[in-house]
Amino acid sequence: MTMDCDAPIGDETLLDYWSGDLAAGEADRIEQHLFACGDCATRLENIAAIGAGIARLAREGRVSGIISRTLLNRMQRDGLHVRFYSLRPGETVPCAAFPGDDLVVASLRADFEGVQTVALKVTGPGDVSFGEVEEASFAREDGEVLWATPGSLVRNMPSTRLRLTLTATGASRRVLGEYLLDHTAADAGL
Amino acid sequence: MQTIADASDGDLARAVANRTTGPAEAAEGELYRRFAPRVRLYGLRHLRDEDAARDLVQHVMLLTIQKLRDGSVRDADQIASFILGASRTASIDLKRRERRREKLRETYIDTGAFAPPADDSMLDIDRLELCLTRLAERERTVVLLTFYAERTADEVARELGASAGNVRVIRHRALARLRKCVASNEAVS
Repeated sequence: MTMDCDAPIGDETLLDYWSGDLAAGEADRIEQHLFACGDCATRLENIAAIGAGIARLAREGRVSGIISRTLLNRMQRDGLHVRFYSLRPGETVPCAAFPGDDLVVASLRADFEGVQTVALKVTGPGDVSFGEVEEASFAREDGEVLWATPGSLVRNMPSTRLRLTLTATGASRRVLGEYLLDHTAADAGL
Repeated sequence: MQTIADASDGDLARAVANRTTGPAEAAEGELYRRFAPRVRLYGLRHLRDEDAARDLVQHVMLLTIQKLRDGSVRDADQIASFILGASRTASIDLKRRERRREKLRETYIDTGAFAPPADDSMLDIDRLELCLTRLAERERTVVLLTFYAERTADEVARELGASAGNVRVIRHRALARLRKCVASNEAVS
């Protein structure tokens, strides 16, 4: 019988269940409920659909912004073609996205010793803002921030120079590095 | 008068077991409609593969109908538990022996009669892409690590240098934002 659930499972618990974060006994209890309750099963189905969509976007390289090394490794393992640029502070690197490049990733190298939080600012000619990340994830051991842009997006960009500025925020506020990406448009004959 | 959609799970199971022409067929269809999505979810959760999940649905639902027809299900009111148990057993089996899937398809009757449940194809993927870009950087990282890299909260926490509790809060908040954003009618530019 289709009836309202008298003990609905919270979304947070459904999410924990889906992510494998529940102890075995608790997961079993949730499963018993899900098989007996259409309402909760439908809500889990919605969560699963969003999750499947996110995985699909990642598999297609349709991800923008800061990514972790784990994500990058996974994408490459899944066969994504990644155009990779590594920049040291003060360095200018010519860049472009070629046909077949699914993702363009810039590795911004820096010394994160003593740094707690990092901000990334991306500006174009005339200091026009292309985006800002107030709290960027960084890998202290690897000494890098990875900035990703879908290849299709980069291929459609006109030739331009992008300035990326990494800043340590908080108590130890300082510029960690400025990096220049000299982008050549796809039709400019690199 | 009670319709098939109003019938309890147990009533449906009894109708199938009694094998009355007409009602039994309608009850089988309704049982499938109710439980196939749940078995698929179970399969996705434990097998992490859409094809394997669909195979699990076919196997479990056909097995269920067969057992009901044979009179092998002792308590019709516990049909949900029966299907969960069958899902667990079959899922372990599928994990252990991948090749067994082909055999199962051949063993059970009329697999073509049961269409697999819908997947995420109804989701507006362009809309979701836009919504993903609108998340805070840390929220986006957490949902990508969760749903794409299939990391638990503990694993994500280690990677981000946060607590597992904090990751779970971020994950929950991010998902709520994504659902709200995906459901909104704002055009994708």
